[in-house]
Amino acid sequence: MNKPADMPEDEEGATVAGRIEGGIDAIVIGDGVDGLAAATYLGKAGLHTILVGAGKEPGGRIAVREIAPGVEGVDGEHLVGLLDPEVIAELDLYRHGLEYAARRLDTTYFFDAYDALRFDGDLSQAANIALDDDEERDALEAFMAELLELSAFLRPAFRPAVYASGDTQKMLGKTLAGASSETASLIRRYLIASAGDVLSARFADGPLKTLLYSEVAFRSASAPNESLSFMPFLRRLSGEAAGLQGAVAYPAGGAIAVVTALRRAAQGAKVDVRASAPVKSILIEGDRVAGVMLEDGGQLRAPIVVAATDASSAFLKMIGPANIDIELQRVLTTQRPEIATARLHFVLKGVAQDETTRANMKRRLFYAPPVEDVTAAFLDARAGRVPEKLIVEAVFPGALDDKLLLDRRQLMSVMAHPVPFDATPDDARREAIKNAALASIEMFATGLSERVETVDLRLPGDEAAAVGANAGAYAAKPDILRQWAIAAATAASGGINGFYFCGPEAQIGSGMSCSAARSAARAALRAYRKGHV
Amino acid sequence: MIFPGEDIFADAPRPTPLFAAVASASEANLWTSINGWTAARVYSSVSEEYETAKNSAALADLGPLTRYAVRGADSADFLGRLTTAPAAGLHVGESARGLMLNEQGFVIDLAEVSRLSEDLFVITTPTAHGRRIKLAARGMNVDADDISGQVAALGVFGPQASGVLAAAGLKSVNETMAASGVLRGVETAARPIQFGALPGVELIFPKDEALTIWERIMRRGVGAPIGLDAMEVLRLESGAPRPGVDFIPADRVSKAGGNNKGRLPEELGLAHLAPLDHGWFNGRRGLRERTGKPERRLISLSIDDEVSMPGAAVFQNGAPVGRITSCAWSPARKRVVAFADIAASSFGKDYEISVPAPKEGRVAARVLETAESALAKAYSGEKGYSAGAATDFRR
Repeated sequence: MNKPADMPEDEEGATVAGRIEGGIDAIVIGDGVDGLAAATYLGKAGLHTILVGAGKEPGGRIAVREIAPGVEGVDGEHLVGLLDPEVIAELDLYRHGLEYAARRLDTTYFFDAYDALRFDGDLSQAANIALDDDEERDALEAFMAELLELSAFLRPAFRPAVYASGDTQKMLGKTLAGASSETASLIRRYLIASAGDVLSARFADGPLKTLLYSEVAFRSASAPNESLSFMPFLRRLSGEAAGLQGAVAYPAGGAIAVVTALRRAAQGAKVDVRASAPVKSILIEGDRVAGVMLEDGGQLRAPIVVAATDASSAFLKMIGPANIDIELQRVLTTQRPEIATARLHFVLKGVAQDETTRANMKRRLFYAPPVEDVTAAFLDARAGRVPEKLIVEAVFPGALDDKLLLDRRQLMSVMAHPVPFDATPDDARREAIKNAALASIEMFATGLSERVETVDLRLPGDEAAAVGANAGAYAAKPDILRQWAIAAATAASGGINGFYFCGPEAQIGSGMSCSAARSAARAALRAYRKGHV
Repeated sequence: MIFPGEDIFADAPRPTPLFAAVASASEANLWTSINGWTAARVYSSVSEEYETAKNSAALADLGPLTRYAVRGADSADFLGRLTTAPAAGLHVGESARGLMLNEQGFVIDLAEVSRLSEDLFVITTPTAHGRRIKLAARGMNVDADDISGQVAALGVFGPQASGVLAAAGLKSVNETMAASGVLRGVETAARPIQFGALPGVELIFPKDEALTIWERIMRRGVGAPIGLDAMEVLRLESGAPRPGVDFIPADRVSKAGGNNKGRLPEELGLAHLAPLDHGWFNGRRGLRERTGKPERRLISLSIDDEVSMPGAAVFQNGAPVGRITSCAWSPARKRVVAFADIAASSFGKDYEISVPAPKEGRVAARVLETAESALAKAYSGEKGYSAGAATDFRR
C-alpha cells in the first residue's frame, strides 16, 4: 500500500527477511476480528497502518474449514450477540457486506422433565412466550425487563476504555454514580450474587428457572451456584440491551461474514494486510514501543503497536518478562483455566421430512439440563472429567441461510458447555466430549445419532494451534471481577508508551465484540493526535 | 541493611544460625522476633553498643534478613527487573542498593544486590518475597534460592571493621569489593553492604561454621555485638527508613481505606535509589507517571527534647501536618532524632512536635541533614551536592 517503492516483497507480501521497514504509523498484530477492526480504525484516521497476521488468511480463529468432503463449516463462533453496534456503524460494516440471515433469533428450549418452550425472538421477548402459568410468564417478563435495563446501564462498565485506569472499584463507583439508589443496590447485589440465588428468589422450580440456569452458565467458567456467577449474564444481555443491532443473530454466510466485512473495511481504509507474517517480538526502546520483529528476521518500525493476539503471546512472548511488570505477569499466569466450551459440527445424512423439524431448524435450539446436572457438570469438568450432560446450543446454517444448504445432507453447528479445559486433549478426551455432546443432543433430537455422518470437534487447543496463540485465551471466561481485573491490567498495556492491547483478555464476555479493538484504536489515535507517541 | 519492623505478636521465633553464638554474648537476654527469626534487642547496653559502632567495630547478626542466591544467564536482567539496583552494571565483587517497587511505582521493600561471579548474585531484602521472586523468574533463565537460615550472616560496621576482619583471618576482604573463598577450611563470602547509607561488610558462611567464625573474631577482642536498639539509633542518624515502621510496604497496604496507596521512593527520600534515567525496572513506568507529584514526605527531624514518642503529632505554623513514625535519643546530636511522615505540601524546615505529660505542650524540631538525605539532594541536583556520587551506588 503506502510502502516505499524500493521495498522488496516476497510472494506473500511480507517484508523480506532481515530488512528494516520504516515510515509506518501503526502496526496491528493479529488478524482476527479485533485486529481487523483496530487496523481499520487507524487506517480510516489516515495512519499508515500495517496489519500482520500469522495465518494464511485474516480472521484468526474465525475461519472456514472443510468439515467433511464438500461440507464447509466456520470455526470459532456460530452466532453473534455482542458485536459492538458502534463498531458496525463507525466502520460501516453493512456497506462492506455484513448481512444477517436471521436477527433476534427465535429460540426453542428443550428440557428433560418439561415440554419444550418456544420463544418468538430471544429471551428478551418473554411477552411472546406461550406458558400455561401466566404468573410465571409475567415474572419472566418483569425479570428480563429489569435485566435489560441494568445491562443497558452497565454497558460502559463492559468496555475496556472505562477500566483502563486499572481501578475496578473506582470504575464501578463511577458507573454507579449516575444510578438511582434502587438500580445501584440491584447492581451491587447482582455483582456478587450467585445465579442460583438470584433465580431461586424470582422463580419456582420449573422450566423457566431451568432454562435461565443453563443460559447463565453457558460459556461461563463459574457454576451458577457460585458467587459472582450472575453478572456475566448481564454482559451477554448487553448486546440485546443495545437494541436490535446487538441482538443474537446469524450472519448471512455464518460468522465468517463479520471477518469478510471487516476485511473489506480494512481494505477501504488502506490498511496494508500482511498474512503469513508471524511476529517474533515487539521492540521496546526505553519505555516506548518501537515496532515489531518478524519471525523471518524483518523489522517493521512504528510509534504505535496494537496487539490483538492473546495476552500471554503479546506480553510474555513478544515483549518478554524482562520488560513487563511482575504484577501484570501475575495477573496473566496465576489462574489456570479449568472450563472450556466445545465447538462441534455434525454432518447429518438426509434431510428433515416433517414440518415441525424443519421449523425448529430455523431456530436457535438450546438444551437446558436439570439444575442439579448443570452443577454436577461444572464439578466434573473442573476435576478433568467430561460431564454426562452438557448445555447445548445448536443452529442449522443451511436452514438459516439458503446459500449454505447442502445436497442430501445437513450441517448442525453446536456449542457444548462445560467441558474440561485441556490445552492438548488426547483422543480419548475428544471421543468422550463428542459422545457427551451427542448424548445431550439426543435428549431433544432422538435418533439423531443414527444420522451422523461426521463429527468435527474443535477445542480451545485446536483454535489456539491454528493461530499460534495460547489456548488459555480461548477457555471459558472467569468470574466478572477477575475478567475486569485482567481486562484492566491488559488494557493498561504495561504502561508502554505507544503500545495498545485488544486481545481476548481485554474483552468482557465471550464472543465477537470488537469493543476492545475500538477502545485500543481510539486511545492510540488520541495519543497520536496529541503527539504523545 | 535495614531490619524490618518487629513481629510484635510472634511467638517462638526460630533461632538464627548465629543464635548460639550471639546468645552466649548476651548479658541483657532481651530478644525479639524479626521475620520469625530471633533477634537481640540489647546485648549489654544501648549506649555501649552505640559507642562501639561509632568508635570501634560492631558485629550484627543479620540472620533475620532474607537472602536469595541468584544464578543463571539472565540473573542480571532478573535482578534489574526485580529491583532498581543496577545489577547488569555491577562488576564481579560490586554491590548496589536498590528498591523493590510495585507496578505503580510504590515501594515494596529495600534491597541490596551483590555480584559474586559472572552469573551468581546474592540479594538481601528486609522481608521475604519468595512468591514474587518465583513469579518474576518465570520465563527467564534464572534460579533464585532462598538461602536464609542455611547460612550465617554477620554484619561488621564501624571504623575498625577491617581490623575485625583481619583479626578473623579474612585479610583478603575489604569494604568495597565482594570476595569468596575458603578461609582456614571454611567456605566464606564477604560482601560490602550498607546500613542505610553507612558502609560495612557482611560475612556469609555455612551455618555449621557459625560458631567457628564467631569465636575466631571474639577471641581477638576487637569488636562487640550490637543489638537492634543501638542499630535503631544509628539508622535514624543515617536517615534510613525502616519498612513496616516508617512506611507500610506497598504489598501490605490495606486497600480497604481507599486512600492508602503506599509510598513512592521520592516520598521516602529515596528517589536516588530509583533513577528513571537508568535501565528498566519493575514499576518504572508507573513511577514515571507519578514522579514529581508526592503526596507525603518522610523527613528526618532533630527534636529539641529528650523524650519523644512514635505517633506524636507534627505541627507546622500551628496546624497538624503529620506524625512521628520512629525516634530515638541520639548521643551524638544530644537530641531526639526521628522520622516523621508529613503531608508533602507542608515540606519545610521547621516544625513543632507535641509532647505528652507531664509537661504537655510542643517542642521545636528542625529537618535533619543525614547521609541518606545528602544523597537524595545530590541526586535531585541541589546546589552544593555532587550528583555523580548519588546516582552511582556501586561500591
